[in-house]
Amino acid sequence: MSNSSTPLLEMRDISMHFGATKALDGVDFICNAGEVHAVLGENGAGKSTLMKLIAGVLQPTHGQLRVDGSDVFLNAPQAALRHGLVCMFQELSLVPDLTVRENLLLGAPAAGIGWLRGQGLDKAQDVLGRIGGAQIKMAARVADLTLPQRQQVEIAKAIMKKPRLLILDEATSALSASVVEKVFDLVREERDSGTAILFISHRFHEIEALADRVSVFRNGQRVETFMKGDHDYAAIINMMVGQKIEELFPEKPPPRQDAEAVLEVRNYTWEGQVKDVSLTVRRGQIVGLGGLDGQGQGAFLMGLVGLLRKADGTTAIAGQPTRIGSPKQAKHQDIALAYIPEDRKTEGLILDQSIQENLELAALGRSDLDAGDAALYAGALEQLALKHGGLELPVSSLSGGNQQKVVLAKWLALKPRCLLLADPTRGIDVKTKTQIYAILRQLADQGTAILLLSTDYEELIQLCDETHVFFDGAVVASLSGDDLTPQNIIAATLNVSPEPQAAHA
Amino acid sequence: MLRSISIDSLMPYFGVVLLVFAGSAFFPQILSADYLTQQLQIAAFLGLLATGATIVILLGHIDLSVPWVLTGSAILSTSLVGTGNPTLTFLAVPAALAFGALIGVINGIGVAILRIPSMVWTLAVNSMLLGLAVLNTGGFNPKGESSPLMNAMASGDLLGLPISFLIWIAISVGLAAFLTRTPFGRYLRSIGFNEKATFLSGVSTPSVVFAAFAIAGMCSALGGVMLAGYANQAYQSMGDPFLLPTIAAVVIGGTSILGGRGGLFGTIGGALFITLLTSILSVMQIDDAWRNIIFGVIILVMLLFQTLRKGAVA
Repeated sequence: MSNSSTPLLEMRDISMHFGATKALDGVDFICNAGEVHAVLGENGAGKSTLMKLIAGVLQPTHGQLRVDGSDVFLNAPQAALRHGLVCMFQELSLVPDLTVRENLLLGAPAAGIGWLRGQGLDKAQDVLGRIGGAQIKMAARVADLTLPQRQQVEIAKAIMKKPRLLILDEATSALSASVVEKVFDLVREERDSGTAILFISHRFHEIEALADRVSVFRNGQRVETFMKGDHDYAAIINMMVGQKIEELFPEKPPPRQDAEAVLEVRNYTWEGQVKDVSLTVRRGQIVGLGGLDGQGQGAFLMGLVGLLRKADGTTAIAGQPTRIGSPKQAKHQDIALAYIPEDRKTEGLILDQSIQENLELAALGRSDLDAGDAALYAGALEQLALKHGGLELPVSSLSGGNQQKVVLAKWLALKPRCLLLADPTRGIDVKTKTQIYAILRQLADQGTAILLLSTDYEELIQLCDETHVFFDGAVVASLSGDDLTPQNIIAATLNVSPEPQAAHA
Repeated sequence: MLRSISIDSLMPYFGVVLLVFAGSAFFPQILSADYLTQQLQIAAFLGLLATGATIVILLGHIDLSVPWVLTGSAILSTSLVGTGNPTLTFLAVPAALAFGALIGVINGIGVAILRIPSMVWTLAVNSMLLGLAVLNTGGFNPKGESSPLMNAMASGDLLGLPISFLIWIAISVGLAAFLTRTPFGRYLRSIGFNEKATFLSGVSTPSVVFAAFAIAGMCSALGGVMLAGYANQAYQSMGDPFLLPTIAAVVIGGTSILGGRGGLFGTIGGALFITLLTSILSVMQIDDAWRNIIFGVIILVMLLFQTLRKGAVA
């Protein structure tokens, strides 16, 4: 359908400067119809800027965009949309207080002034059904949806605009493996019908599964573009950061089953969503919580810091039976739990406030700490290598990875004896992930008990000493040592008995 | 306090200077000390209300019960004085403040525990207070009078400055210090920006909401007591003309109506500006209709200035 010699989108000598920062520096980039083109790079490598240029959100400082061989000037998202360039942003762009239906119709074709028309809604419904979101009701308020459900709606919203070029920027970061697979099927189908797909992800196996061509970016420049399979993981990571894959995760020390228990939960049950969960986290242990999204592991973690009403079960901290009714009680020095919530932008941080103010917020309520003391945060900030232009700047000026470092430093200042983390590396670049893994392992070595919820099974295997897999609110498998394999985890998340190890491992 | 002085919060002060000089071109008596101190005295009533409103608006909420907390506390205090009993007379001001705090806590319960939007809840509380006042007085102006203390608070002078103005500034400075030096102030702004993240950081957000509404209620009550002292009596609906100017003073002072951003320094300027504008417009003896239109336009222009400036930065 398109002339193969003319690329769908061509970017020539593009530069984008924000003040003194060069987000992009003389980039040439080509995207062809009927191809999935993966864009790789650390946070801050220029990927998001590139996507925003294509989507018409930003205009380049220098350089030219061409669509179908003719120059275009995209001064607004509507202009990009007219050329069929559609972006699904990493920052979820749904209006929380509107319903799913209303959100889908926002910015849909012919949805300006006048009556709202339902055109395309059937398509969206169909797309939702195909990516495992059939239970999402059109009349549901987006604010009431879970994060993965919102992402599914985002995908449907993007596809119903009938894009010629579709940008998926961390589009699947909150989705579980089985849903991701369905999304990929859909993307492949779009590709086969001639759509160009630009795909940004930090998960290597997703790129392996989906991409036809890969471009690697580093420091605002395109390092290389190659067909998938031309380079292995290690070489690609080297291109991105100059680091090898085995260096991603710190070495796991031998298990210490005899260490004293810091957190003991027995028979935890809540409103049919968490069913009779019992587990123990010992000093120096990293315990993983796995499973598909919404199987109760997230609710369980929230319940531990007192966010759920009418929950049953007992909790003991360092052997003392304890009732925790609110995050304020949870952070008290006698209990010293720290909870890192899933959504750093709305739950972990106050984006309008400065880095310093965000750091201090958790320590302020502790009578034994002086929140104004910079030494409380210095250690964690230094170890995590937080890149910032001054602690008085708003925390929103930081990249996603650096924001997550601020959330961590804020809680580490309290020297928690047990750290609860809800998917702390979601949508974060490889280098920052490595730094977070390293600090978690170091904390464990110093005696902190860590409970880590993750959607990335590499983390559950490489980082955790023991992993509990949730299904339908209950723990269906507790894996440790040699049992901690991808096959076992995947089998448990789907609640089927694991295949014999020898099959094709 | 210094940190809360932003360009936004300085705007109303420029406006005040501009008003004084532009006004004095037509009416030289505006520059007289008598006129200016009188403005300071009157601005204190609006200023006290706006001080309380600033606290609630920083929290990201709004208190629409100001008019009848004011009226109610004025009625309560003058009735107590009207009994002639010296103990009750002495208790007039503390009782009014306690009344304000109580209504504030009721507002806080609705907002923090029952989670009803403050705009609706406080409006309902305002309406119920109106009803209670009418039941209590039969709809007539309440009997009673103000005490000498109340008169002095409203109309007295100290070192050539109106006592009402001094009370207002003292309370503003005290609260501003409280807001910048204590965790409470930090929590207040944090909740204004993002209540969820603040709660998850281990802050007891309901207690902060209670305290903020209680402080605002006490400010409104003190305003009512002083207005009663000024008029020597309480009367029905005495608070009604104050609601919108109160909110206007806060917003013109650079406090974001969405919460989080702003401070009391700007509110002082905002209250001075609104008082002076009202006064000069009435000195100029123009039609009531035009006075309202000009008042509205000037407030819009002030706010547009702030928005445009922010647009230029972003």
